Amino acid sequence: MVFRFRIPSHWRAKPFRYRLIVYRCEDCGMVHQYPAIICRKCRSTRLRHTQLPQTAKLLSFTVVRQAPVGFEELAPYIVGVVEFEDGTRLVTQLTDCEPEELKIGMEVEAVVRKITQDGPSGLIIYGFKFRPRIV
Amino acid sequence: MRDLVKITGIAIHGYGGYVPRYRIKSEEIARVWGKGEGELPVKEKTVNNLDEDTITMAIEAAKYAIARAEIDPKKIGAVNIGSESHPYAVKPSGTIVAEALGTSPSIFSADFEFACKAGSEAMQMIIGLVGSGMIEYGIAIGSDTAQGRPGDALEYTAAAGAAAFVIGKTGNNVAAEFEASKSYVTDMPDFWRRDYERYPVHTSRFTGEPAYFHHTLSAINALMEEDGYKLSDFDYFIFHQPNAKFPYVAAKMLGIPIQKVEPGMLSHIIGNTYSACSLLGLVKVLDEAKPGQRILITSYGSGAGSDSFVLKVCEGIIEKRQKAPTLARLLQRATYIDYARYLRHRDKIRV
Repeated sequence: MVFRFRIPSHWRAKPFRYRLIVYRCEDCGMVHQYPAIICRKCRSTRLRHTQLPQTAKLLSFTVVRQAPVGFEELAPYIVGVVEFEDGTRLVTQLTDCEPEELKIGMEVEAVVRKITQDGPSGLIIYGFKFRPRIV
Repeated sequence: MRDLVKITGIAIHGYGGYVPRYRIKSEEIARVWGKGEGELPVKEKTVNNLDEDTITMAIEAAKYAIARAEIDPKKIGAVNIGSESHPYAVKPSGTIVAEALGTSPSIFSADFEFACKAGSEAMQMIIGLVGSGMIEYGIAIGSDTAQGRPGDALEYTAAAGAAAFVIGKTGNNVAAEFEASKSYVTDMPDFWRRDYERYPVHTSRFTGEPAYFHHTLSAINALMEEDGYKLSDFDYFIFHQPNAKFPYVAAKMLGIPIQKVEPGMLSHIIGNTYSACSLLGLVKVLDEAKPGQRILITSYGSGAGSDSFVLKVCEGIIEKRQKAPTLARLLQRATYIDYARYLRHRDKIRV
């Protein structure tokens, strides 16, 4: 079988995609999504893995109507930029909402959802999305 | 009151329920299929979002349960999920849920299948693992995105939802303690889905008297006889809810006042969430019960069997309730969709 997605790459990305575990450079603060030995920005080797908060603030969003391959079934869907308390920003899909319900600055929370799937017999890729916070 | 307590020292430390945002009204389904609105089994039901399945809903419910339990996920020794809609035929749901929750890899994990009682079956196994001392805490989850063939009676009720419970040894700050449990199973041809088939089949009226009622009442009556309970010992009765009528019929057969059944009823507004069904009823009751009250919950799964549990609500419930959104809060998100969008959400459009 030919896999459309690189399965080892997804397997390595699980901590980030499931739980927002990142590798932060203790010298320059650069955040790496995947395990890294050397900081891509400052070449420091002082990297520490940490979990980003589960809530963030919505900075911006747009609606994707012409979806790339693998995301056609979801279109139209919302992609946004969220900012965590420490200033880290993340591009993410937004779910469980319509565009008219979103407001810049509103609080959103991380959830794990189906991101895409490799056809009916391939792997289902799960990962984080954000939705308006339920309190 | 009783001579024998079958389960000692095991308690629910945290609980969580999850229902998707979307709903479809039964009258909308009836409109499409030209059916009258007179005898619809439920008012409306939940529908999963396009990116939701049994695994994602299990994660949502389990996160709420862990938040209420206030424990480090690394202390969890088992993640059991009961469902009849596991996304993979071969690849466990439990491992994905466990990694998303951040448990240790050194855990026990299993996917359970027993039609609508797979969730309570998962709970039985966690109670056994904790009771034997093999694990400190375990999570039992019932989660389903149930299938109903377009136009079939099941389409009105087959819904989506999840419920999760963190179970461990009892302590000072637990939500509820288990007191007893009883299971009853027979080979019952009332409902099944063969391998590679998309939709289950059922035997209509046969699913009532010899199936649902016989197993539900047998489990409860055995609990009464063997453990010495009386129906008057209980403040809440929770039944499996394949429709909004069966639990009340069962209550009438047993002589239980309706007022003790109503607090655990959900199917009239969310449908039958299969493996999560009676467990979500328990979540709803735990959201309102007072310390000292006693709950009798009885699941039913086709094929067929029932698990009955006796729980006593503890002082910790008051504080824990506030640690995660209540089921009532999640139900407030209801957004109604039409039948066309429902078909898309349920992956019933194949091109």
